[in-house]
Amino acid sequence: MKITWNWLAEYVDLSGLTPEQTASDLTNAGIPVEWMERLGPSLPGVVVGRVLSVAAHPDADRLRVCTVDVGAASPLAIVCGAANVAAGQKVPVACDGAVLPGGAITRSKLRGVVSEGMVCSAAEIGLNTKLLPKEQTSGILVLQDDARVGEPVAAYLGFDDVVLELELTPNRGDCLSLRGVAYEVAALYGRAVRMPDDAQSPRLRAGEFPLSVRIDTDLCQGYAAQVVAGVVPGPAPIWMQMRLLAVGVRPTGNIVDITNYVMYEWGQPLHAFDYDAIADGGIVVRQARDDEEVATLDGQTRRLWPDVTLIADGRKALGLAGVMGGRDSEVTGATRTVVIESARFDPLQTRKTGKALQLRSEAEQRFERGVDPAVVKPALARAVALLERHAAGRAGAPVFAGALPDADETAVEVVVSPAAIGGLLGYEVTAQELTMVCGRLGFAVRADGAPGGDRLRVSVPSRRADVAAQEDVAEEFARLAGYDRIPATLMEGELTAGGLTPRQHLQRSLRHFLLSRGLQEVWTYTLTSHAQLEKAAIVEGHPLRQAAALDNPLSEERAVLRTTMLPSLLEVAQYNANRRAPDIRIFELGAVFYPLRLPVEEQPGEARMLAGLLSGRADAGGWQGAARAFDFFDVSGMVEDILDCAGVSRRAVEAAPDTSPYFQPGQAAMFTIGGLQIALFGQVRTTVAERFDLHRAYYFEVDFDALDSLARTRLHVQRLPRHPASERDLALVVADAVTAQQLLSAVRKAAGPLLADVRVFDVFSGGATGDGRRSIGLRLVFQADDRTLTDDEINGSVAAALAGAARDVGAELRAQ
Amino acid sequence: MEERLQDLQRRALAELARLDGAGPLEDWRITFLGKKGELAEVLRGMGALPADRRPAVGMVANRVRDALEAGYAAQRELAARAADEARERAEAVDVTLPGRRNPPGAEHPLQRVIRRLEDIFVGLGFTVADGPEVELDHYNFTALNFPPEHPARDMQDTFFLTGDLLLRTHTSPVQARTLERSAPNSPLRIIVPGRVYRRDDDDATHSHAFTQCEGLVVGRGVRMSDLKGTLLAFARAMYGGDQQVRLRPSFFPFTEPSAELDVRCIHCGGAGCATCKQTGWIEILGCGMVHPNVLRMNGYDPAQVSGFAFGMGVERIAMLLYRVEDIRDFYVNDLRFLRQFAGVVL
Repeated sequence: MKITWNWLAEYVDLSGLTPEQTASDLTNAGIPVEWMERLGPSLPGVVVGRVLSVAAHPDADRLRVCTVDVGAASPLAIVCGAANVAAGQKVPVACDGAVLPGGAITRSKLRGVVSEGMVCSAAEIGLNTKLLPKEQTSGILVLQDDARVGEPVAAYLGFDDVVLELELTPNRGDCLSLRGVAYEVAALYGRAVRMPDDAQSPRLRAGEFPLSVRIDTDLCQGYAAQVVAGVVPGPAPIWMQMRLLAVGVRPTGNIVDITNYVMYEWGQPLHAFDYDAIADGGIVVRQARDDEEVATLDGQTRRLWPDVTLIADGRKALGLAGVMGGRDSEVTGATRTVVIESARFDPLQTRKTGKALQLRSEAEQRFERGVDPAVVKPALARAVALLERHAAGRAGAPVFAGALPDADETAVEVVVSPAAIGGLLGYEVTAQELTMVCGRLGFAVRADGAPGGDRLRVSVPSRRADVAAQEDVAEEFARLAGYDRIPATLMEGELTAGGLTPRQHLQRSLRHFLLSRGLQEVWTYTLTSHAQLEKAAIVEGHPLRQAAALDNPLSEERAVLRTTMLPSLLEVAQYNANRRAPDIRIFELGAVFYPLRLPVEEQPGEARMLAGLLSGRADAGGWQGAARAFDFFDVSGMVEDILDCAGVSRRAVEAAPDTSPYFQPGQAAMFTIGGLQIALFGQVRTTVAERFDLHRAYYFEVDFDALDSLARTRLHVQRLPRHPASERDLALVVADAVTAQQLLSAVRKAAGPLLADVRVFDVFSGGATGDGRRSIGLRLVFQADDRTLTDDEINGSVAAALAGAARDVGAELRAQ
Repeated sequence: MEERLQDLQRRALAELARLDGAGPLEDWRITFLGKKGELAEVLRGMGALPADRRPAVGMVANRVRDALEAGYAAQRELAARAADEARERAEAVDVTLPGRRNPPGAEHPLQRVIRRLEDIFVGLGFTVADGPEVELDHYNFTALNFPPEHPARDMQDTFFLTGDLLLRTHTSPVQARTLERSAPNSPLRIIVPGRVYRRDDDDATHSHAFTQCEGLVVGRGVRMSDLKGTLLAFARAMYGGDQQVRLRPSFFPFTEPSAELDVRCIHCGGAGCATCKQTGWIEILGCGMVHPNVLRMNGYDPAQVSGFAFGMGVERIAMLLYRVEDIRDFYVNDLRFLRQFAGVVL
């Protein structure tokens, strides 16, 4: 919302104030002034001139030599290139020595003829040409006839003014008008607001230009209209046009400009109809019929539905209530009689219609925030008075329908307690001070009268519909008293225990572990695309392709919620690999989304995943030794260590080969615990890695929620062993199809309770092991709590282990 | 006899002085001090001496033996030290060569800010809550006093999945969820760090996905001054012990009164610079007293309890702290950018 300083000064006394100070005070009171700027350049030496004569240039077809009266002793001779210059026009003239935004103007010769100045265009004197009609921006600017010859142009155009742009919060729809801002300034400085009072008696005879209004819908609470006959369409006065330009409204002609001007002044959107387009002068406000059509002012034909409120006559739709007028009833140069509408339309429905039709007009934006019902009539009277003054109209009597209350009928009473307000703010507030601040806001206050209470009744006028409860009054008080008055205290009263949950601690320790392993934490976007999933070999039909889609994405690249972090981590690796950082070790702890069904109807499952990607060298090597590339066992070991962080024993885990399409066959595994999938890891299929400019990459993902559910949160330490352990190494030959896990579990199962630990220390194939077989070296650790084991005991256990391994997986002791 | 002994001592010590290395030293010991060595040889002649001469000659003999043994010990010590030094010389390394490194990764800067926020607020008695990123319209808007079709909804351009499901536009829905889940009027102090979404085109200052940290305190007699004090404590912990804060009126549908919180510009300290647009202050969060409608709609009684809430942009904090100029840097994950955060404690 833009306003100008001089315009504001018409409604509130600004004497002794500067725009800068007022802007700062408004900002501190919650009406932030985002930006301020002088309305136009000061234009020294640029005055209004009258073109006396225009003659051809002796030496140039396109140039003309004009004599221009600028109020000096003798007229100036000026060479002008504009095609539209003509005798009798009033024009802005930059005299010798004048300063324009584009530079200084001096007397000079143009093709041999001396030019004593320059006739200026709109752009040359700093007008915003985007909002001006074409006839005012091509060629020189022709001024209205009321301009006085010799008057400085900056003064004539009101350039000595300041534009302020307010950044309004949605609750302050009242400040979408000069009136609202004036009340705000009045409250800040304890001054009075004076709005123009234009009550006039009708000049048309009764029965002349009959007008009637009928409201046939609940979505229009009140409707006022008035005929103004005999209007002469033409440009609005220059000061009005300049103010509209300053606040960003395109001047289009006196009638529409006046409705816009009054909308800015009072906050009440108005509309002007051509009276002759209204059948029998009978206005009906009603809901649209299914598929009813109306041609709107922007030249489009809109197909409507019954939720939309219409302004119509007995035969046809005339416009969309509160949103946009209709083309067929539009005011044109041929209009002689107008009807001005000032009405109350339902905020919600106006907003819905505006959104559905993508018509967020100035009117719609005001209606959706709520317009003060008490201004409907004064705004209409003001517009009619201006039409009489500036468009030569003669007004009939206003016609009213529905509820059109006066200001004294619309105030709302809010009961407040100064003590309660002080309790909310944290400092003492007296009834006297509260009453004073309310007075500055124009809120009348009286004592509640209830015995023993300190309560006050605050009468809030309808221009401030946002103030409806004690908390609202508290805010009004606090912001006018200054938020700086609020002291800084710490909470008293009930204790709360702060701290992190076990789950949050687990997140921290996992991060800590991966960071100290040299993995870099990354954050990637959760919105991705089917194309990206496809690129990571998650093809149509794969469960991870069941991604929840946005209904209104901004782009195809960010249209679905990710089901896996693989593509985004590959993307990060690709980005860095292409920037000479080919050694990648990254991880992310974030959300993935599993819709329960597609299309999405309910909240998808949100799982927290800990995913990582390793690519390039595990050890960069250097002067101490050779480099080593990552391999499968780096990623599997990392996953095992991650489980360790949560106290999940590797022995509890079932490992099985994984056949996900994005993994290299034979280089991927899945960990489950009691049927619960906890981790997935392996080498990214080389064809996929290559699509991301990677040679080899290893991916892991750990289901954080699953890990959290299994994580150990208590520890009772075990007594340290008091008796020594004994070790035995066995080399067992098994068929290639037998996995290490199968061999280990056979040994564990058979060896009995004395076996404290068993681990693989060597794997060897070829040579004496024979084709299709390999040797697995196991180190068995035997220990008892209560004694040192004898050789016989250990040998018995080893024999049992061997027998079990032979029985379960066909293992044989390797020949020495 | 005494002369023989004296002569022996002279010769032996002279020879000892000429020796070089451990091997000849052992030969020397055998030659002079061994069981069949020269000293033993001389002493064997002791028996032939008259009894009254024996004590005097014995004393000389002992002195010679002590001298030879001392000389031997000293020389052996020297030899051993020389051998040690030779070994040390051989094993010495260029200590300026680079070590065998295993450098740690860096916490993501946004995660780092979140961790610091958690630590600060946990210290103030808060717990850390979270909630779903795909949210119901009810929790994201309606239960926070944004009625359907309210213009305040335009403050936050929203990604929808369906008419009723959306990507949360702020972490505030966790306020409603936590209130609703808690026993009516029971005291609460939570912060909620998390990812949020706005339907904005990505540029240097906008991101369709970013991170917020919400705070909510509810209890009996909670005042706006407590809000200011709590956030002052936060600002000092985050930005330095001499920080100051300033509240400015603002509007959020779920708080009343509402405010923006400014801190003294962390770059110029308040003197005025480009970061604070010469004002000396920078806005870091929005806050306010929980709107009674929010308490009421979520099962709390505004006549019994009051509360405050605040919400801050984690990216904004990180951008100010680390002078990051483009919000997209946090999501591009250029390792040259991220690695820098391994080298800072705060």
